[in-house]
Amino acid sequence: MSMARYQNVFDNLKKRGEAAFIPFAIAGDPNPDAFIDVVTAYVKGGADVLEIGYPFSDPVADGPVNQRASQRAIRAGFDHHTFFTLIKKVRMFTDIPIGLLAYANTINHLGSDTFCKKAASVGIDSILVADMPPEESHELGKSMRKYGIGRVFIVSEFTPDERMRYICGFIDSFIYVVSRPGTTGVDATLSTSVKTTLARLKKITDKPAAVGFGISTPEHVREVARAGADGIIVGSALVTEIEKSAQRGVSPYNILKKKVNLLKAETILK
Amino acid sequence: MAKSKKGYFGRFGGTFAPETLMPALREADEAFGRFRTEAHWQAEYRRLLESYCGRPTALYEAVNLSRRLTDGRARIFFKREDLNHTGAHKITNALGQALLARFMGKERLIAETGAGQHGVATATAAALLGMDCDIFMGTVDMERQKPNVFRMHLLGARVIPVDSGGKTLKDAVNEAMRDWTRTVANTHYAFGSALGPHPFPMIVREFQSVIGKECRAQIKKAAGRLPDEVIACVGGGSNAIGIFSAFVKDKGVKLTGVEAGGEGLRGTKHAVRLTMSPHTKPGILHGAYSYVLQDKAGQIADTHSVSAGLDYSGVGPEHAHLFESGRAGYTYATDKEAVAAFKILCETEGIIPALESSHAIAYIIKQAPKLVDGSVVVVNLSGRGDKDIDSVAKFMGNIF
Repeated sequence: MSMARYQNVFDNLKKRGEAAFIPFAIAGDPNPDAFIDVVTAYVKGGADVLEIGYPFSDPVADGPVNQRASQRAIRAGFDHHTFFTLIKKVRMFTDIPIGLLAYANTINHLGSDTFCKKAASVGIDSILVADMPPEESHELGKSMRKYGIGRVFIVSEFTPDERMRYICGFIDSFIYVVSRPGTTGVDATLSTSVKTTLARLKKITDKPAAVGFGISTPEHVREVARAGADGIIVGSALVTEIEKSAQRGVSPYNILKKKVNLLKAETILK
Repeated sequence: MAKSKKGYFGRFGGTFAPETLMPALREADEAFGRFRTEAHWQAEYRRLLESYCGRPTALYEAVNLSRRLTDGRARIFFKREDLNHTGAHKITNALGQALLARFMGKERLIAETGAGQHGVATATAAALLGMDCDIFMGTVDMERQKPNVFRMHLLGARVIPVDSGGKTLKDAVNEAMRDWTRTVANTHYAFGSALGPHPFPMIVREFQSVIGKECRAQIKKAAGRLPDEVIACVGGGSNAIGIFSAFVKDKGVKLTGVEAGGEGLRGTKHAVRLTMSPHTKPGILHGAYSYVLQDKAGQIADTHSVSAGLDYSGVGPEHAHLFESGRAGYTYATDKEAVAAFKILCETEGIIPALESSHAIAYIIKQAPKLVDGSVVVVNLSGRGDKDIDSVAKFMGNIF
């Protein structure tokens, strides 16, 4: 089910000469109701895939923007029930793939099997655990296969070819390529290494590759799409808008929809 | 989680790290394996431990304390880690990891610090070996450990204030890990405790195991036999694992870890991970599967202790294993008990202990009436308390 959802999207876009545009948000940020507005704006703006982060108190792979987003969601009273209810609501108005980005403690807290069962039932298509490399994913991997959830892992410029091959062996939805070392966040310029990393990866696998970390402007999106990425993930640049709107007490809907629309346009190469 | 595979202690430990760190963790693991067998580097490490740190540290029989607590019925020994250069056991690991970093060709050291002792130790090792050094420290800890912040500056390190979360040790580790994902190419992360993803719990244990080795030989000489009990405070757990490691196989030696009971177990203002409470549960924090204080939604809980070095939500994975296997017992002392123990040691022995170590002393004070005649106990006096005098003064002002 889930793997098919990804495959359809990536195949169709490829035929049209497009890369998938994948906006990211932290679930429940800045509060459960406003989060639904955020995702609606993403979908209406033209998102091809959604990437949703499970808020965590100690997100070591995230920069300050996403950390603050997690804190806002947690302060608004986030728990497992809130999460699954929100995703269920999202699933009611869109059929595009939904990827989850979580930290290992969140899944362990509920138990791999329970977590995956609930995730599958609300319509989550893939899970990437930021602090769980393939070596530690045996138990979770079993549950994910059991419930038909796609596995996603990260590769970076530090990943040697041999390890890329090893990691790709675990992947059945898409590969998350981080554009540069470090944590999530907005950069002024795009790392030059992303092209070499993508080129190395493409020699190893034909599985779809989505690039994330540090991508914030239409120029970045175009450049990464041209470099052969099958998907482009934009997080902090959008989450910053959610933060600004929350501070001003206004809905982020219009600005997010406009921004996603603008960024999505750059993924169309033909 | 698979059992006892590489990087595991029983079912605890592992390598729960972002992929960007995996090549560096593998490199450190592999390099440490070679470092241990390279005679030249080992000789250099031993030379520094002896002539720079002042090892072996003394084993001191606290006759006055034993008279006061047990009328001299029991023999209480202190392993004097407070006599190390920079004032705590931390330098033993910091020097080892700095040498390991040099061995790997890295030029920069980063570290987290809570009480500031590991930060000072790392800054010291970096100064000695001519390396760049950045220390991450929560702003709450910077406030309560001001002298150590200044010490680090004097030693040429940058102290990077961490203002996220509870602004203590946990948050400092987060920030150090984030830095490391950017800088792994030229930087070694010298974890200060037996925490983090594999290979760190093993590396730190190995470097700190010298405490136990020395102590085992010293107590045999001083008491003519092995001790009945070895006691150490447990934050992340490096001083405890260091001294326990030499006695784990001696089934007759009771091993006791003392955690920070803070304001007691009724609320959440404590750092007790290995005594059953509604908030502790096996989980994943900072790269390892171990016991972790967390709330009902799986968010990591903030902790409280009068002692910055014990104020941490997780605990080294080997302690989780020693706890579950029953080989070591774990208990706690409250802020109040630790401060009282601090005062007693000052008055009876003329030793100002670290507030961390005072938790282990508080335990022996509580246990004293139960000690059988002629028993021999060793308390690891992990550090000296000069850094804590402001905290103690403030605490006594509030309480008395």
